[in-house]
Amino acid sequence: MSLAVEEREMAVVGSGPAGMCAALAAVRAGADVVVLDENERAGGQLTKQIHRFFGSRRHGAGKRGFEIAAELERECRGEGVELRLSSTVLGFFPGGELMVEGEDGVYVLRARAVVMATGASEKSLAFPGWTLPGVMGAGAAQTLVNLHGVLPGRRVLMVGTGNVGLIVSYQLLQAGAEVVGILDISDRVGGYEVHYRRVRREGVPFYLRHRVVEARGEEGVEEVLVEEVGRGRGRVLRADAICLAVGLSPLAELAAMRGCRMVYSRELGGFLPWHDGEMRTDRPGTYVAGDAAGVEEASVAMEEGRMAGISAVEDLGRMRGEEAERARSEVRRFLLELRGGPYGEGKLRAKECLYCA
Amino acid sequence: MRVNECESMQGAGGDPWSSAWERAARGPVAVVDCREEIPCNPCEEACARGAIKVGEDICASPRFDPGLCDGCGRCVTLCPGMAVFLLDRSHGKGVARVTVPYEMGGELLEGGEAWAMDEDGNALGTAEIVKVKRTGGRTGTLLVTVEVPEGWALKVRGVRDRLISLEAPEETDAEQRERDYHLCRCEEINVSDVRGQAGWFNSLRALRRYSRAGLGYCQGRFCQDLLRRELAQTLHAGEGEVGAFKVRPPVRPVKLGRLGGEDA
Repeated sequence: MSLAVEEREMAVVGSGPAGMCAALAAVRAGADVVVLDENERAGGQLTKQIHRFFGSRRHGAGKRGFEIAAELERECRGEGVELRLSSTVLGFFPGGELMVEGEDGVYVLRARAVVMATGASEKSLAFPGWTLPGVMGAGAAQTLVNLHGVLPGRRVLMVGTGNVGLIVSYQLLQAGAEVVGILDISDRVGGYEVHYRRVRREGVPFYLRHRVVEARGEEGVEEVLVEEVGRGRGRVLRADAICLAVGLSPLAELAAMRGCRMVYSRELGGFLPWHDGEMRTDRPGTYVAGDAAGVEEASVAMEEGRMAGISAVEDLGRMRGEEAERARSEVRRFLLELRGGPYGEGKLRAKECLYCA
Repeated sequence: MRVNECESMQGAGGDPWSSAWERAARGPVAVVDCREEIPCNPCEEACARGAIKVGEDICASPRFDPGLCDGCGRCVTLCPGMAVFLLDRSHGKGVARVTVPYEMGGELLEGGEAWAMDEDGNALGTAEIVKVKRTGGRTGTLLVTVEVPEGWALKVRGVRDRLISLEAPEETDAEQRERDYHLCRCEEINVSDVRGQAGWFNSLRALRRYSRAGLGYCQGRFCQDLLRRELAQTLHAGEGEVGAFKVRPPVRPVKLGRLGGEDA
């Protein structure tokens, strides 16, 4: 038996900030757009972000993540984007066809333009005892707490002082857990100082220049031996959960399967499809945006999404070159702004290296 | 800490609290304690009186003019970093009122007491809650005003409904029992297997093919990064050099029956 085939003008994989912004940019130029997402609700990681966002007001800063998701979803529906949820993309073939598992079965979706806005996955960390129940990604813990109302543990050790580690620690405190410490191998806090201070003023101890030696327990984590690097002195922390906030990797399997040229960038989180500054990959009609194009943050994802959407509608012949270029130059300006400052510099350089690679 | 050495946004005074001190004698004034260049500007729009300026470059630190501030507290609510406070010394009697944002969900009631916390999470002591203002509906931030001795006024950074004791436990010897552990959980491939066999493989794909690491249910979603890091270290190679698994469909688990056309 053969699979049903559906023809569409444009498909976006992922309904996070990048995907929805790509769809919006395209639908506004008159394109027919379907957005596929494996989750039951639209918004990607935004749906579990209960904190107020940084960034510029233009990108919803000052609002909470789930509010931004709801707004984008409303706009998408209002503009006629088809949001097809509970639909998992299983494959992306060299001919450009997507294989999708939807509620009614598996089918093939053939679109003239495909934007991959699949986001990122959490990196892990291995140490003796990391396979005990209670060890999980910080993002997983955030899903448990903020979407399902379940505490990952009563006493949580957070590993990693980047923004994710700091923000999720704060949210665990909000949910009523104790955060017994935040540990980092580095001798300085990786995330924004304001996030550090928000957690610090609640009395959470920071263990910098520390590493996890092992997690111990019978049925799950009961205690964690941590050590100050190079000193041979340690502490045994009583904890029933360990959350790992040790970085994200672009979720780029579909790009690899499509045959896109893959490049490695430490700064951007790992392997990702090569793309130019207009979010085109080296395969025709194939675009990438957001964390799948290198891990940054939500405002950047929104702008990259717009960029990808604009490039796609230009290539589909729905937008003239000059008009597309005008729109892109505005996006470029915002991206430059967002990648300014000491934190954005590294990302900016990595992206520029990539465009020329 | 990576703190930017930029000039303080409240003039050359340095500490934003002390520069708001004089103005606070006349009533509540904002203290913008934002010391780092990050891309963020909601405070600018929050202020209807134009007392806070970030400008075109959204990474610039906010500049604050205490003379224009009327102490409305909108910036306290909207700052995503919870780095703006209100200071009010107009009540005399050697006390000061400090307003902080609160999102912890504890029961803080006007007339009750809260613990006043300093920036390192030490409790300064208890303080009377003189005002609790709920902003923006159900998901809103509470603005909690506490009355504290004037001596604490520059130190208060937050309030808590109860104290938690999170002191670091005593140091011990970090006993280094060498214990093996899985890198690939699904196929139970240990770190010792990868280290021991690494000489045979120069790529992640070869490692997967011969050891089965990464071929289980998760298809490498948990272990690929771990395997890559370990293999790269063992081979003294870059993580990019050892490569990535070949990706084949399906990238997510799916029932074979469904692939064959079966309905859900």
